[in-house]
Amino acid sequence: MKVYDIAYSRAGDKGDISNVCVFVDNEADWPTLLEKVTADKVRHKFGPLVKGSVTRYVYPNLHGLNFVLEGALEGGCNFGLRLDPYGKSYASLILDIDL
Amino acid sequence: MSKRQMVRIGCGSAYDGDRLDWAVDLARSGVVSYLGFDCLAEATMTFAQLRRVLDPAAGYADNLAPVVRDFGGFVADGLKIIGNFGGSNTHAAVDTAVGLFREQGQTGVRVGAVHGDDIRDRAFGLDAELPDLGCRISQVKEPVVSVNVYSGAAEVMDLLDQGADFVIGGRTADPSLFVAPICYELGWDLTDLERVARATTVGHLLECGILVSGGRLANPPRQVLDNYVSIGMPYAEVSDDSVVISKTPGTGGVVDERTVKLQLGYEIQDPANYLTPDVTLDVSQTAVRQVGPDRVEVTGMAGKPRPETLKVLVGLDLGWRVGAELSFGGPGCLERAEFAKELLAARTASLRDGIVDSRADLIGVDSLFGHQVAAGPPAEVRLRFAARCPDEEVAKAWVYEAKTLSFSLAGSTTTVPTLQRFIGVTRAYVPRSAVSLETELITT
Repeated sequence: MKVYDIAYSRAGDKGDISNVCVFVDNEADWPTLLEKVTADKVRHKFGPLVKGSVTRYVYPNLHGLNFVLEGALEGGCNFGLRLDPYGKSYASLILDIDL
Repeated sequence: MSKRQMVRIGCGSAYDGDRLDWAVDLARSGVVSYLGFDCLAEATMTFAQLRRVLDPAAGYADNLAPVVRDFGGFVADGLKIIGNFGGSNTHAAVDTAVGLFREQGQTGVRVGAVHGDDIRDRAFGLDAELPDLGCRISQVKEPVVSVNVYSGAAEVMDLLDQGADFVIGGRTADPSLFVAPICYELGWDLTDLERVARATTVGHLLECGILVSGGRLANPPRQVLDNYVSIGMPYAEVSDDSVVISKTPGTGGVVDERTVKLQLGYEIQDPANYLTPDVTLDVSQTAVRQVGPDRVEVTGMAGKPRPETLKVLVGLDLGWRVGAELSFGGPGCLERAEFAKELLAARTASLRDGIVDSRADLIGVDSLFGHQVAAGPPAEVRLRFAARCPDEEVAKAWVYEAKTLSFSLAGSTTTVPTLQRFIGVTRAYVPRSAVSLETELITT
């Protein structure tokens, strides 16, 4: 099972920092998301795409997590040459994590 | 200062290329008394700088003239509009808007403007640090083309108090476009942290337009939407005791707990400390609750004092951006694309000193996620080259090599390379005392 099967997501950008939010569809899956999708897991999934730190924040009442990925956009949307300068597609990469 | 029990405010645009017809539907519905137009994403500001570099009378938001054209009648009838239309040239934006209102026969419209966000003349004296570049502004190699400070709600409130109908901000911060009318109408003081936090949350939820009402939500096959062809623009209903997010009645899209959660978390790093010019917003304990069809109540936001510094966007002239794409299909397509990468690298070797950044992506293989997702061999692949060259002659030489590449490649498509100016924008922070904002009001 993947995060894709229990959750939905969106990615945003500020300069060279990407933030990826992921929320569960059903409250019953919240403990699983909270326990399994750690900052380490996300760091491993993104590998060399993220040059800096990965920090996880919890939205306890929204049943969601926010991952802040520093150095994830090769200088930011206005400096880099990435095909996806804003990192919008990172919303899909986080859903590919195995639970 | 006005004192109403409740105000309804909608979103007019999320960026200056946003479609306007869905916002016209919201204006026509008569539900809202204000529309906020966010026009300036970080990258949009880049393009505004670029236009001003090429033409001193340009550099304001692309959608200013269309907004005056499509909404002028609503404004004449009492709808109030606030937008950061000024971009990098607020004076030219005011001239344009006033001229268009008059051309359209809409006299008596009070056009307000916030000036003073352009602090390029003081930038080197302040010598602000550029955290993403690891140096100070005086140490940066590239020419500095612009320095614009994010401003807050105070000056916009002042203009509303003077009777403004159409407010043109410079780099007015996105949420502040909504904070100002909410606080003005409900009689909320900008020092009331809890209330300003609620108004700022509304601004944060509305400033990306349909992203809170069904945009970017359809995710087939897992998440299928029924009514997605046209999507209603969102609005908020704000009173002393509640905040409810909704959308234009009778339109497609959806406002539900999912859409509000996704937008609440968008572009926020630490949820307990989201910095805006008006308040340090804490949405970490926020809750959402569906209270009716396409109606979601948001509760639990809190505020801490606003930051001592203001955020600044610094525009740098990075030279030229060049690009080219070619497709390969069938047996050996990946190997042929790899060969094309090597060939262009060899043919541009003499330009190496003039290329400061370059990459080659295999679209269909590694362009979005590198090799972080397992994939089998593709049926076809698109090779994408991109590079940055400070010097125009080097950029043109690169384009010449890219354009002629396909004649050396088996079964590749042809390519039309691109050559564009490249202005980069990076952040800095300056003390509030370094910025003096002024307002202007012109009656058409």
